[in-house]
Parts: sequence; C-alpha cells; structure tokens
Amino acid sequence: MWRRLMIVFSKEVTDNARDRRSLLIALIYPLLGPLLLGVMLSAVGKVTVGDSPQALTLNVEGMANGAVLVDWLSAQGVKVVEAPRNVKEAVTRGDIEVALIIPPEFKDLSDAEKTAPVTMVINSSRLSELVTINRVVTLLGAFNTEIWGQRLAARGVDFRSLQPLAIDNINVTSGGHIADFLLFLVPPLFVFNLFMGGAYFAIDTTSGERERGSLEPLLINPIERGALVAGKFLAALFYTGIAVVVQLLAFKTAFYVVDGGADFSATLSVSNMVLIMIITLPLMIAAVSVQFIIATITSSFKEAQTYLGLLPLLPAIPGMVLVFSSVKINAWMMLVPAYSQTLLFGQILRGESVTTAYVGVSTASTLAVAVVLFLVTIRLYEREELIFGS
Amino acid sequence: MIEVEALRKSFQSVTALDGIDFVARDGEVTGLIGPNGAGKTTAFRIIYTVMRPSGGRVRVDGLSTVSARRQVQERIGVLPDGRGLYPRLTAREHIRYYGRLHGLKGDFLEHRIDQLISDLAMEEFIDRRAKGFSKGQTRKITLARALVHEPQNLLLDEPTNGLDIPSSRAVHKLIRGIRDQGRCVLFCSHIMSEVASICDRIVVISGGRIAADGTVQELMALSGSDNLDDVFLNLTGGDGES
Repeated sequence: MWRRLMIVFSKEVTDNARDRRSLLIALIYPLLGPLLLGVMLSAVGKVTVGDSPQALTLNVEGMANGAVLVDWLSAQGVKVVEAPRNVKEAVTRGDIEVALIIPPEFKDLSDAEKTAPVTMVINSSRLSELVTINRVVTLLGAFNTEIWGQRLAARGVDFRSLQPLAIDNINVTSGGHIADFLLFLVPPLFVFNLFMGGAYFAIDTTSGERERGSLEPLLINPIERGALVAGKFLAALFYTGIAVVVQLLAFKTAFYVVDGGADFSATLSVSNMVLIMIITLPLMIAAVSVQFIIATITSSFKEAQTYLGLLPLLPAIPGMVLVFSSVKINAWMMLVPAYSQTLLFGQILRGESVTTAYVGVSTASTLAVAVVLFLVTIRLYEREELIFGS
Repeated sequence: MIEVEALRKSFQSVTALDGIDFVARDGEVTGLIGPNGAGKTTAFRIIYTVMRPSGGRVRVDGLSTVSARRQVQERIGVLPDGRGLYPRLTAREHIRYYGRLHGLKGDFLEHRIDQLISDLAMEEFIDRRAKGFSKGQTRKITLARALVHEPQNLLLDEPTNGLDIPSSRAVHKLIRGIRDQGRCVLFCSHIMSEVASICDRIVVISGGRIAADGTVQELMALSGSDNLDDVFLNLTGGDGES
C-alpha cells in the first residue's frame, strides 16, 4: 500500500511542479500578504518613530512677536523658521505640516504675565502630520507648564504641589512602538494563505482529473482508494507546506527590511518559525481535507474554484476581528480549529510565552477534526458518482 | 475469462441493464455491440470495477468484481470510456505510471514500455508532453497503459474510434495477437463491420437486454440477412438510435 501511495504522491508532485501557472498562484498569495504588511509597517513606522524631536522644523508667523516662546522652542532643539506668506494655504497644500501664528499682542500680554494667544494651523486629515501636531502641542504644553512654574515660584508657591501625577509609560509589547498593532494582521493573513496555498492543486487533482477524463482509468488500477486519496492528499499537503514556509520567510524578510532585524524580525526566529509550523500542521491537514471534500462533491472545476476561492475567508474572519478587539485566551478557544492557531500564532508574534497545554489541546482537537474530514474524503472517493460528478 | 450473470443496474428511475448474461472466454475476442444508450458502457464499467451492480454478478477469472476488486483489477487491462491524459506528463511517463501502479519496476518495466512503443509505433512522440496530442496519439497511449502489465483479460471500449486506417489495422493485429496468446478480449463497439472482422463471438445488447449471442454466421442466420448493417438493425430492433 505504501509503495503505491508513494507512486501516486511522486506523480502528483512532479505533475504539479510542471504547472507554472499553478505554482505562480500558489506562491503569489503567500508573498502578497507579507509584502503588503511590510509596506504598511514601514509607512506607519516612519510616521510614528521616523523623526527625532531634533529634526522638527516649525514654521512661525510673527516670530518677532514672541521672542520668549521662540527662544524656548529653539532651546528644546526645534528649528524655528519664518513661515511663508500665506500660512493657511501653505498648510492646505501640504508645503508645511504645521504653522504657529504669534499675533502682535502676544508680547505685551506675555510681558504683563497674562494669557497670550497663539494659533496653530493644522491639517488633521493627513496621517503623517498627526505626529508633528502632537509634538507641537506637547511642546506648547511644556512651555505653559514651565512659565506657570516660574510665575508661581516668583510668588513663593512650589509648582510641584499643583501637579498630583507624574505620568510615565512603559510599553511592554516586544516591538515597543505603535506599529506593533499591525502584528495582529499577521495570523489572519497567515491562516488565509494556509487555506489558499494548496487549493488550486486540490482542485486540479480531483475535479480537474475528473474533467480531463483521467480519473476513470486511474481508478481501475489495483490500488486501494485510501492509498490513492492519501497519495494525492500528501502531495496537496506538501504544496500547502511550501506555501506556508514561503510565507513565513516572506514575513521574516518584510520585517527585517522594515526594522533591520531589531524587533519584529526577532520574534520570527528560526525556533519560533518551527513552533509555528508544528502548531499549524494539523490545520494544514484539516485545510487540505476540506479542499478535497469540496473539490470532490462539486460537479465541475469551475464550481470547485468558486467555493475554494471563498473558503479561506471563513477561518480568517475570527483573526480579523481580533485585530480590532483583543481577547483573553481561554482553554475552550483551543478546541476551535483555525481560531486556536490564530491565537497561538499571535502570542508568539507578540513575544508572549505559549502554554504547552494549550498547544497540546489545539493540536489534538484540530488533528481529530482533520482525521474525520480525511476519512470522509476517502468515503467520497468510494462513491461511483465520483467519476461523473455529483 | 469474464462471466456476466443476470446483471442489473439502475440509476434512480432509469434501468440501464435489465438482467444480462454472457461469457467472454479465454483465447477468444468477444464483441459487445449495441446502439447508443444500449447499456454497453454501463456493463463495461461494472466489469472493470468502477461501478457496482444493482443485481446479478460479474466474475473475472472466477473472482467477484465487488468482493475481490483488487484482484480483479490486477487481472484486467482496460481502455475505458474516460480516456484523458495528464497534459504535463510525457507519453512514456503515462505508461510508466500505470506500470508502476501494477507493481512493475526497473528494467523489466522499461523493457516492457520499449516493446509497446515499437508495437504501437509511438517512437515519434513518446518523450513529448501529452498536451496537444492528436486523437490517434492519445488513443495509442491509453492503449499502451492498458497493456503494460500484460493482463489476462483485456477490455476495450471502442479502441479504434478516431484512428486512421493503418493505426486501426495495427490495433486489430495487436488484439488478434493477444487472443492467440490465450487471453480474453472483450471488445465494445457500435461499428458492426469492425466487430465482425475481428470478433470470434458477438453479444448484441439493446435496451439493457441481450438481443443475441453467437458467431457472425449464427447472427446472420438469426436475422435472415447477410448484410452486416441489416443484421445489426434487425437484431437491435430499430434504426439504432435510442
């Protein structure tokens, strides 16, 4: 039985390897996700951490009106420059990100220790400017606080007594910056591609074989249906595995390009990638089983293609929801195929330690589902309708 | 030897075979002939194990096609109704794949493939991929993979359909050679003249039943005509369309 199984396996692997279009499709999807995410990470990374405070250039209209503020800003490392003539237009056009207008009355009011007005010209619809705006607001707030302190000290009051909280943040995510949020996208993208990687092959080797008319003569050969299905199944699993490995390496590469090997790419270490492969192997088996069942019970190649094109969305949906709402992992969640792998993969990416018991429950439950689905596939291959389509 | 006894097959409300009996003996070419839709292909599919009978039974060399499917598959070589190829495999790889599935390997298998290449004149395209093969080239490959394991029983569903005259003659010669080796050949066709020229016995099937069974001479006597087309029409009871 094993000999014949391997004969079918090697034929199917060779046959599919010669199908450039199928290989291209199988490899483009795994590459597309990491590429897209890499571009997004890189864009968000630039916005949030790209510029240091020293590099901030602030356009000011009426610099002469507020020498005390301009001097203070310069002392903080801000490069203060005279704003172009029409400030609002310049900000609208995006020539400058933020401008500060210091009106003529500022100096007198400030000298009289009264509240002096300043105007910020901003365009909040530009994502890249949000950080600059935030930085200017923070700087102006700091100026406010400092002047308060000076004025209160002159009146003999300790400024610190008016400040009940000293706020400091420690970000515990492995990457340590806002872009980590995008890491939540990785598991659903991964699961989507896992269900996509071998789909074309699964259709080709079942519906395709039937439509070519090569299934009937094949079934007359002295090979158990179980061995025949298993040979084809292992070949599909082999190509799904390749798609998964390619995808992991592509994620690793995308992360490396974005952060130069510091944060993200470190979470996808070789040992973590091996762990991810182990955790997701039962899911691959289940995915291939579902693909085979759909490709077997549908009446044509096209029909199978339609369903298998939609199939990957289903297991990816819970992961997409997780991007926007975090979940505390419970044991029951480990019983749900695709969902459990999404959660565990997410934990690995965020640098959290993975509970061995959870991995065990996830693997056992998904494997049990996969075995049942595989047995159903063999049963479907026993039906005589298989040759003609249902 | 292939023995068919009271064979019945129904698909929901349609009865394709309504209790047919016949025997295809070793050392003989038996022709199964009938109009379109008579049940020839259904009978073949049950004999070559991809369908189960609704009633009756088929034995190949004394083995049941249902309870001893594997053993029957080892003893038959089939040119079935479905005769598709894998477009990305070469002609040689097709024959090798089937040979290996029948347990052949190594030099023995390669020698056997070479012999078939020569018998069926496939030298020109044997190492080309099957995509774009002509009907005749396709037929030769499907025939070669049915013969690669030298089966005791050969089932051929319209083997010369689409072949030119020299190729048809080569196939006929091959069939006679196999018969002369004492093997059993069951041949299915709707072309009376072809069946008459190479078959030792003819089984006429019509509307899911056996209409006649005998040698060409016996059938001519039975139908009262010596024109082969008239024999066919008289025995199948109509214009041949159903």
